[in-house]
Amino acid sequence: MSSLGQVVSVIREYRQYVQEEVRRVRQDSGYAGQVMSRWAEIKAQIGTARTPTGLELPRLALPPYDEPGEVLRYLLEGGLPGEFPFTAAAYREQYLEPGEAMPPGVNPAPASSPEEPTRLFAGLGLPEDTNERFHYLSRNQRSKRLSTAFDGPTLYGVGAAADGVFGKIGEGGVAVDTIDDMERLYAGFNLDQPQVSVSMTISGPAPILLAMYVAAAKRRFGDGVLAQLRGTIQADVLKEVQAQNELIFPVEPSLRFLADMVDFCARAMPRWYPISISGYHIAEAGATPVQQAAYTLSNGFAYVEYFRNRGMEVNAFGPRLSFFLDCALDIEYVALARVCRKVWAIGMRDVFNADRRAQLLKLHTQTSGRSLIAADWKNNLTRTAIELMLACMNATNSCHSNAADEPFTTPSEEYARYAAHAQAILLEESGLFRHMMNTLPGSPGMRLVAEAVEQAVLEEFESIEEQGGVLGAIERRYQRSQIQAAAHTLERQIYDGRRPLIGQNRYGNGETVWPDHAMTRTPAAKKQLHLDRLNDFEKRHAGESERCLDQLSEAVAKGRNVFAELINTVEHCSLGQITGRLCEQVGKFRPLV
Amino acid sequence: MPDIPHMPPTRLLTAVPICDGHDSAVNTVNLEFIRHGFEVVYLGYHRPARDIVRAALQEDVRAVGISSYNGGHVEFFTEVLRLLAEAGAPVRLFGGGGGTITQADAKIMEQRGVDRIFFAGTPLREVVAYARGISEEAFSGPVEMPPSYSDRALGRALSALERGLPGASAAPTGATRVRPAVKTLRIGVTGPGGAGKTTLIDELVLRFLHAFDSGSRVAILSHDPSLPGGGALLGDRATMIYSQHDRVFMRSSATRGQAGGVNATTECASDYLVRTGFFEAVLIETVGTGQEAIPFGAKPGYVDRMILVLPPDYGSRLQLQKIAMLDVADCVVVNKADRRGAKTAVSELEARLRDREDGVSLFLTQANRHRDAGVDRLFESLFRRCVKGA
Repeated sequence: MSSLGQVVSVIREYRQYVQEEVRRVRQDSGYAGQVMSRWAEIKAQIGTARTPTGLELPRLALPPYDEPGEVLRYLLEGGLPGEFPFTAAAYREQYLEPGEAMPPGVNPAPASSPEEPTRLFAGLGLPEDTNERFHYLSRNQRSKRLSTAFDGPTLYGVGAAADGVFGKIGEGGVAVDTIDDMERLYAGFNLDQPQVSVSMTISGPAPILLAMYVAAAKRRFGDGVLAQLRGTIQADVLKEVQAQNELIFPVEPSLRFLADMVDFCARAMPRWYPISISGYHIAEAGATPVQQAAYTLSNGFAYVEYFRNRGMEVNAFGPRLSFFLDCALDIEYVALARVCRKVWAIGMRDVFNADRRAQLLKLHTQTSGRSLIAADWKNNLTRTAIELMLACMNATNSCHSNAADEPFTTPSEEYARYAAHAQAILLEESGLFRHMMNTLPGSPGMRLVAEAVEQAVLEEFESIEEQGGVLGAIERRYQRSQIQAAAHTLERQIYDGRRPLIGQNRYGNGETVWPDHAMTRTPAAKKQLHLDRLNDFEKRHAGESERCLDQLSEAVAKGRNVFAELINTVEHCSLGQITGRLCEQVGKFRPLV
Repeated sequence: MPDIPHMPPTRLLTAVPICDGHDSAVNTVNLEFIRHGFEVVYLGYHRPARDIVRAALQEDVRAVGISSYNGGHVEFFTEVLRLLAEAGAPVRLFGGGGGTITQADAKIMEQRGVDRIFFAGTPLREVVAYARGISEEAFSGPVEMPPSYSDRALGRALSALERGLPGASAAPTGATRVRPAVKTLRIGVTGPGGAGKTTLIDELVLRFLHAFDSGSRVAILSHDPSLPGGGALLGDRATMIYSQHDRVFMRSSATRGQAGGVNATTECASDYLVRTGFFEAVLIETVGTGQEAIPFGAKPGYVDRMILVLPPDYGSRLQLQKIAMLDVADCVVVNKADRRGAKTAVSELEARLRDREDGVSLFLTQANRHRDAGVDRLFESLFRRCVKGA
């Protein structure tokens, strides 16, 4: 049995345990007394919020239970934010405005620090263009959360000089080929300060890009900066195989390079999240919400198993894992992330003996790009607003909302601003989330959806387990074929109208009125400039690059930490040179179709 | 009514450009095409323009469809058009993408010669209706021998042979063989679906490209089943990472109702390719076959070497007694050596093959592993007489 089979067992056991405890507390008056006095304590510790209209509310909403069985079920099923199994939220307080002084004896919750959940996703043209966009988007933000999209040649690690990719330089993301590009990309931001964090949406060549980031940061802030660097790199190899198709090396060496990077980060970069286990691309490829949850969580457990088998300590790397989910308009999203947090926490505790910090599923959510359509495209503002609301109802730790013009182009400044403002409107302008935790959870519908989703996720786990766990199922193309089948169903439902898309197949003629603002495109002269820079870099470092690549190859062959070596390699070698050498050595990824 | 000559299914090629992995739309469109009776050669994602055009010529398709999502489409489509024009091939080009292809872009692309751009939200039936308007052309024979190597000429010739036109019997005049003394090695590869035939062939081709000099070529005839409605998804190219190469000629064929693993004209196509004198080897890959199949004919058949590829999980020992190819294959390959049961498979096969008096060799491979030593051994045994210095 792989760890996934064990996860299914412990989740079922946990359900059993809750039922037995509820039965026991109803028969054992001593136990009932303990539970009710704990309940009273919890209530007593809840602070008070005051709304602008003068209403006084508790900072945490609890159900009006006065019967020990129901109270215990509520506590054990994670009704309390920040308590195992974290169904309600990872932290005790999220999104709340700073309140009045806490009653004595209450520890301030980690998330009550003024962390804004807004992330600013950008990536276009050359590094200096994206840099300019980052400065523009973050100029009024207390914290600078810079989320970076890369162009195709970077994502595939082929580099801008590869045959036939010229047109793709700087399209759909920023072009980064060298450490110099990386320096330009984040110029002017104090990467060593807690207010600045960087995230990079890249998986195939992730260790190379992060090595460039680290090396560039060392240039500017010195060797000591490693411990200060905050951010996330996606580096999710498994979902690339299942859905997004941006993998360079075969699965096995890809996992090894990833493990080297995670290991390095767990030791030397304690504030960095070296992997973002992503369902987003799985969902965007057409998976159902349940498939998204099941494949993402099972991938997560597969990573933990792989790292543990390599001898890495779960409580060292566990807290550095983070998750990334899509939020679209299906009803499953009413409770999807809640279920994910619960399953992760129980699995990590009971299968991997993880401690509290490693049990937390820390979540970044992005609204669904796939749900946005070209027909009557300003409706996308409404779609995104609803998705944002669902994401916050699920207590996501950070969020990115898509721009309404995304079906056409890299977002324009105007619609990128509306997207960021949508979050501010929801969390700061509206009173829905800023006064009270658990304002909406606990409804009968949310519970039912959660139960149905949890059941379906466990069944998916069992299907995967039957095929030898995540890696075995991947080899049999299980996840891919399931996702493709779901995508096909979705398309057919759109065409036959069973999936209403307002403005496209309902209440509209499906015609597209294109946005009148200019499309964001990278002019040929800029593409050429990028290419010239790359050629210049390779020429300048020609004397060193071969030696560095040989050293890298040696690290690969001798089983040394490849990430540690890459930090040296990137000083003299470009992305394309590095992936080229590594492909020779470990092979290329063979696509699954 | 005049007699309408029977036309075979229209052949299309679909692909996703280089540095783009968005294959969700193209997968959906592929399924729709084959449901409506088209033969679709699917090249996969992250494919350079050169690979797309080479494949279009070799496969002799009527139209190429490109699904592009993450930008650079104007340049990419233009490059594909340029390469098609350079080869003198009247292949139509259509495409689509997310909303990233604007109407202004589409106008430019259409001015440059793209047939049609489909925007996001286009009903699938419109795409199918467009493809229905593309029909296979009539041929007049006989099939000619190209005087020098040409993907387009060979692709056209194989189409003509498929229509039953007589093939040129003589070797091309003026064609110079790289090794005139060595005759083209014909290798048939068969085995059940999922055994890893395609991966194995791709890995053999990689070794071929390294071992032979840059003037030598290899050909692949690959087969996939036709659906009852006539459509077929010819998807072997999509998982081949080394065989999209200027020194590799590959043709994907549907079985078109023929049982047994290949199609009615495979032998003829193979003979033709041999007679061109351009190839060191012709590899023929069957569809996934059953126990009774002897796709290349009883020995000696029309290939020089027959390879049977089996996965370790073929079932009970008794199943081995029923596999007809085990009595004629020259090489038996147990692929997926990392799977449970691989060792058992090898010893059971050794026992099964012990009584064969005509010499048969057994190989254990893991083709999906980079530089697998088992594949090395298989390659050496196949090409020993051809490889430099051997």
